[in-house]
Amino acid sequence: MDHARHVFRIVLLVAIILAVVLLARGFLVPKSYGLYGRYRGASVAEQMNLRPPMHAGAAACADCHEDQAKKRTAGAHKNVSCEICHGPLGAHVKADGSVVKPPIDRSFTLCARCHRKIEGRPAKFPQVVLDQHVNGPVEGKVCLQCHDPHSPKP
Amino acid sequence: MPEISGFAFPNDIHVTWSLMIVMYPYITGFVAGSFIVTSLYHLFGRQEFKPVARLAMATSFAFLLVASLPLQLHLGQPQRGPYVIITPNFTSAMAGFGILYSFYMLVLVLELWFVWRQEIIDRARRSRGFKRTFYATLALGTYDTSPEAVEIDHKAIMILAGIGLPAACMLHGYVGFIFGAIKANPWWSTPLMPVIFLLSAAVSGIALLIIIYQVFAKLDRRPVVATCVQALASWLWFFLILTITLEELELIVMAYEKSESWLIISELLTTRLSFSYVTMQMIVGGLIPFILLAVVVLMNRYLHEKVRNTLATVAAFLTLIQVFAMRWNIVIGGQLLSKSLRGLRSPYEPEIFGREGVLMAIALFVAPFVILWIFDRVLGIEEPEGGADHPPAAPTAGQAAAGHAP
Repeated sequence: MDHARHVFRIVLLVAIILAVVLLARGFLVPKSYGLYGRYRGASVAEQMNLRPPMHAGAAACADCHEDQAKKRTAGAHKNVSCEICHGPLGAHVKADGSVVKPPIDRSFTLCARCHRKIEGRPAKFPQVVLDQHVNGPVEGKVCLQCHDPHSPKP
Repeated sequence: MPEISGFAFPNDIHVTWSLMIVMYPYITGFVAGSFIVTSLYHLFGRQEFKPVARLAMATSFAFLLVASLPLQLHLGQPQRGPYVIITPNFTSAMAGFGILYSFYMLVLVLELWFVWRQEIIDRARRSRGFKRTFYATLALGTYDTSPEAVEIDHKAIMILAGIGLPAACMLHGYVGFIFGAIKANPWWSTPLMPVIFLLSAAVSGIALLIIIYQVFAKLDRRPVVATCVQALASWLWFFLILTITLEELELIVMAYEKSESWLIISELLTTRLSFSYVTMQMIVGGLIPFILLAVVVLMNRYLHEKVRNTLATVAAFLTLIQVFAMRWNIVIGGQLLSKSLRGLRSPYEPEIFGREGVLMAIALFVAPFVILWIFDRVLGIEEPEGGADHPPAAPTAGQAAAGHAP
């Protein structure tokens, strides 16, 4: 075996290289890798914290606007969240508690998003042909002149 | 403006796997092909390949060093090169490259070391100062070239060649698998894909060796061994026949089946790929070298040596083009089909400059030859006169001076 010294040395060198690779792997593989799947688990929380939530849901609005909330939940728009027309709560009530008047989307295009007549919509769902509604084409803020969005009637 | 024909999905009109993804299997093919040639000598004891055995191994190594660069250039994330090796992912088909690449690299470097060990030791003995330290480090401090140590080297080379050949085949077969396993693309999705890739790798490796063996011999003012060129040409012919037969059979089966995908594939081959497939892959790179090599093999005894070498070299050049065209037609061709299978996307024209351009592809192809030149300067590719390298089938132990590390 005296003549196999070079073989032992190269095997030792390979073992050292493998050990270095394993060591490097220990440093390179993130700690939370594999926590949920084949990705870095901590990135879920990181991505979440990058963008603080702006929307809080209709229940949060009801804390201050109880009357409007009751009216809404009794009407046909009970499944339409306040923030769809009034914008996100985070833009209305700031993190420091200050209140800013929320922008309200009163455009007919917002109403039309759900109520434009489309063949694919259920027949019972209230829909209008915008070009022929009442006295001709609708535009501007015209929907809200006749319909109350908090408790709409046909 | 995109030039779409037929009914192509509008969000799906560009070729995203660029020229670099064509270069990736092209370069990896030389790694496997050269190793097949060196194995014919080191593993199977084919004496006619002795003059190219060391060159083939060095070529395999030089191309292997460059093999991951096209991917890194395409991704633009060079740190992922070492990452894919150090952090293997056993469930990702794409990451399989890292595992196969690093394993083959390990086996090849070990085999290189055993084959070149006596040369390293001789250089360590001959040199002084820094060079001596360098070669002594490469020799791992042991200067044992006794017949017993040489015999051990041969056994190690045999074992490593035995592991290296399947490893090289796996490395390139895997590249074919990456395409063959994409179910959504009928131009790629066939179990024949890894086999065709492997056979065309053998074609490209042997063709390249026919050329660089003669170039190196001319540069070193050594005679070109006629039997070696003849043997390489015969094997090139054999692998070319297998490759083109399989490539055509795949197509004939699709055409005969007339499955729904044939409609678009036949259109692809006759419109977008008519030049690169029909002209280059089948006629210029397939039929013509097939005839030239048939002349070399079947009319060998009537040919003057110079005529035979010239015919073999021209055929080798053309088969290199054939293999490149095949890679192009697979990689780019497969992306020209819209997922609708009813339309073709815009033709792909690679940029000239830039990270994934034509100049970069040429640089990638030239880089292994620069590595080979450096390899030759540092270790010497050609066996020294009365050299120590010999096949396992006929070991001639004891020609080198025995000695131990000082």
